[in-house]
Parts: sequence; structure tokens; C-alpha cells
Amino acid sequence: MRRRRQRPIPPVSEQSSDAELLQAIAAGQTAALRLLHHRHAGWLRARLRRRCSDPDAVDAAIQDTFVAVWKDSHRYEETTADAAAWLWTIAVRRLLSTLRGPAHRWLSGPTDEIPDTATTPSAEELVLLGVEHGALGPALDRLSPELRRLIEATALDGLSVREAAKLLGIAEGTAKTRLMRARTRLRELLT
Amino acid sequence: MTTDWHLDPGLIEQYETGALEPSRIMAVEAHLLACADCRALIPADDAWLADSWSAVYDDIHAPPVSPIQRLLARAGLPEHRFRLLTATPALRWSWLLATAAVLMLAVAAARFSGDGTLLIGQAFLMAAPILPVTAVSGAYGPPADPMHEITGTTPAAGPALVLWRAVSVIGVAVLMATVAAVLLPGPGWYAAAWLLPALLLCTGTLALATVVSLPTAAAVLGGLWVTGVLAAVGTSQEQVVASMFGPTAQLAYLLSAALAAAVLILRRRRFDLGESR
Repeated sequence: MRRRRQRPIPPVSEQSSDAELLQAIAAGQTAALRLLHHRHAGWLRARLRRRCSDPDAVDAAIQDTFVAVWKDSHRYEETTADAAAWLWTIAVRRLLSTLRGPAHRWLSGPTDEIPDTATTPSAEELVLLGVEHGALGPALDRLSPELRRLIEATALDGLSVREAAKLLGIAEGTAKTRLMRARTRLRELLT
Repeated sequence: MTTDWHLDPGLIEQYETGALEPSRIMAVEAHLLACADCRALIPADDAWLADSWSAVYDDIHAPPVSPIQRLLARAGLPEHRFRLLTATPALRWSWLLATAAVLMLAVAAARFSGDGTLLIGQAFLMAAPILPVTAVSGAYGPPADPMHEITGTTPAAGPALVLWRAVSVIGVAVLMATVAAVLLPGPGWYAAAWLLPALLLCTGTLALATVVSLPTAAAVLGGLWVTGVLAAVGTSQEQVVASMFGPTAQLAYLLSAALAAAVLILRRRRFDLGESR
């Protein structure tokens, strides 16, 4: 079910941008997927490993991510989403479904979990870019670890509260309460 | 989106080993998403990268899952069982075509022969129970399976494999014969009347295979059925159908089938697969 090409896809190289690579992938070029994989697998792995201590689960999630990209690259919208952020949202959700148990991966296809919506940086992400210099850094450091992990999962990883609860292995209600407490505590620390 | 600082190798190493304080970890991650140059700085293990890529490559080049397999998976059949059942395509197509041809000939003959329709309908009724038995006897063992020598050495060989294959071929044969029976002229109940005899012959064959070899068991029971039918045909037509497929006879078939199943379960360890030992 390949889309008809509007214009010829230029050959890809090491210098191609992520958006060009994704365009070529949508046109069925395996070489483009290879370049994208080699460019992004490294940092995705480093970041996923900070979320999950099981290296096999991380490797499986990364493989699933690029298989999903191969099947659904046409759903990437160049104008609204940054390719790296898009890849990260797929990867962290693939990790979640890997952690949910091996049976899950066979039963449901990977297609249902690709976010259609544009991935724009959240306000929290923009704030975190300046965390080196502001008052937020010390405040985050003083937060208790379980509250901080929840902030991390929701604000930084772009997960919903329910998904964050699954990643951390706690009940959804608990996650909601903790997130509320974390916000209150941060407000106290920042004022 | 630019920032006034960038990652350096020391910071990256601290990030990977988890030595950073939490807020700086978050800062590093937010920065990584925004800065392609810093992403490229993260050292990638070449061997790991190649492994990961080859796994992705294999996955996207894997043959697509067939609709039948998806349907069976939905019904609860695990993937390895499906592989097991479909591992011998040559064998599958030959008996599938043979069964289809026989049934179509029967239907065609009945449709075009005018007067003798009822007769052919009854002949079909008597021959139909034999089909699944033939399928069972060919499901396993040296005469039918060219891969038998190799299969025999695997832990999966034996009664479990016979039953899996028997169930799959019986399922298909019964389905095809049912379609043919519905297409045939004659009283409506003809379409279902042969099912219980077929069940008896199949379980009986499997039960008898705990004493003699599987093909022998199939030949003995199939022969008995054919002989019985031929002997009964000597008398009047109406009586044959009434006596062999009437309510009393059907009940007897069901009970004997249950008995055969019980024997099969009790003696399953002595299953003779027709292998030379």
C-alpha cells in the first residue's frame, strides 16, 4: 500500500536531514531507514536504558521502533513535528508495550500506538532546556525520587499519566496523587 | 530552539553511568531532543548497532502473515502450531486437490444423471465417512510424509503430532464433504447423517492404531465399513439407508466413538505410528 509519489525522491546520503530520510523511507528505501537507524539508535538506547534496566527489553523496543517507522513513516508530518521527538515518543511507547509482556507483542500490531498528533516540545521541556541556570534545577533535586520520576515520565517523556503509571509499575490512582503532590512540592520549592 | 550550552564527552559519560544529579539528567535529555549535534556525540557501540539493524532488516523483510494464520491466531492457535501444520505444502495440496476432485465428481454426477440421483446421494452417504479416515491415515508416517525421517527425530514427533495433523486434515475434509453434502440432491438430513459414522471411523482408527500401525488400522476399519455397506446394499435400498443412518444407528455410532476415544486416551502411550523399530 505505497503512496503514489508526488515528486521523485532524491538519493539519500549521510548528509540528508531526518525529514528527507523519512520521506525516502515512505517511498520504500531501505538504505534511508538504515541511515536513520544508525543516526538515532545510539541516543535512543542511552535514554531508554535510563528508564528500564533490562537491556533486552530496550533492544527489543528499539527494533520495534524502527519497524514501526518503516510501516508508518507517511504519518510523520514534517512541518509540525521534530523527527527526534517523534522517534522518542514511538520508542518509549514501544518500551511500554514490551514491558507489558511478550504475548502483547504478538497479538497486536505495532501500528496502533503511533501518535498521529504532532509532537511539539512541551512547556516543561522548554523550561528544562534552561534548567542549568534557573532555580528549577535545585528544586527538582530536592524532590523525592518517586515524585521526580513521575514528573520525568509525564513532562519529559511525553507519556500520559496512565502510561507513566505502567512504566513505573504503580497504580494509575497512585500516579495521579503523586503527580499532584509533586506539583505542589515544586511550587513550594520555587516560591 | 537553541541553547547556550552543549554536551561534552565527560557529561555524556556521567549521564550514561547515572552519576549526574537528577535535574541535570533531565536537562541533558531535554537538550538531546533539541540538538542533533549533541545526539551524534553519544558513542554508539558498532557491534550492537549492526546487530540491532540486522534484526530490524529481518523484520521488515519477513514474509507477511497470511489472513488464514491471522484468523487462526485470533482463535487461539499459537504461531508454532501453525508452522507445524503447514510445514509440508506439497503434501497438503495433493490431498486437498484429491478430496475436492472426488467430491466435485460426486456432486456433478448427481446433478446431471437425472433418474439415479437418489441412488448416488445414498452412495455418497456411504462413501463420505471414508474420506476423513483416509486423511488420518496419510497424516503421519513413512508412506505419506517425505520428511518423516527428520520429523521422527524431533521431540515433537509422536502421538501429539499425529493428533494435531489428524485434527487439521479431518477439519478440512469434513468441511469440504459438508459443502458437497449440502449441494447433493436427496432428503435434507443426508447432509449431516454421515458425520457421526465419520467420527466413529476416525476415533476408531486412532484407537486401533494403539494395537496395529496407523495405515493398517485405517485400512481395517475402512474395509470393514465398505464391506458392511456392500453387504447391506444386497438387500433393498430404502432399508439400507434407514438402518445404517437411522436414529438407533446414529446413537450406536456416537457411543462407539466415545468408547474409542476412551480407549485412545487410556492407551495413548502405545501409539504405533508405523515406524520400524
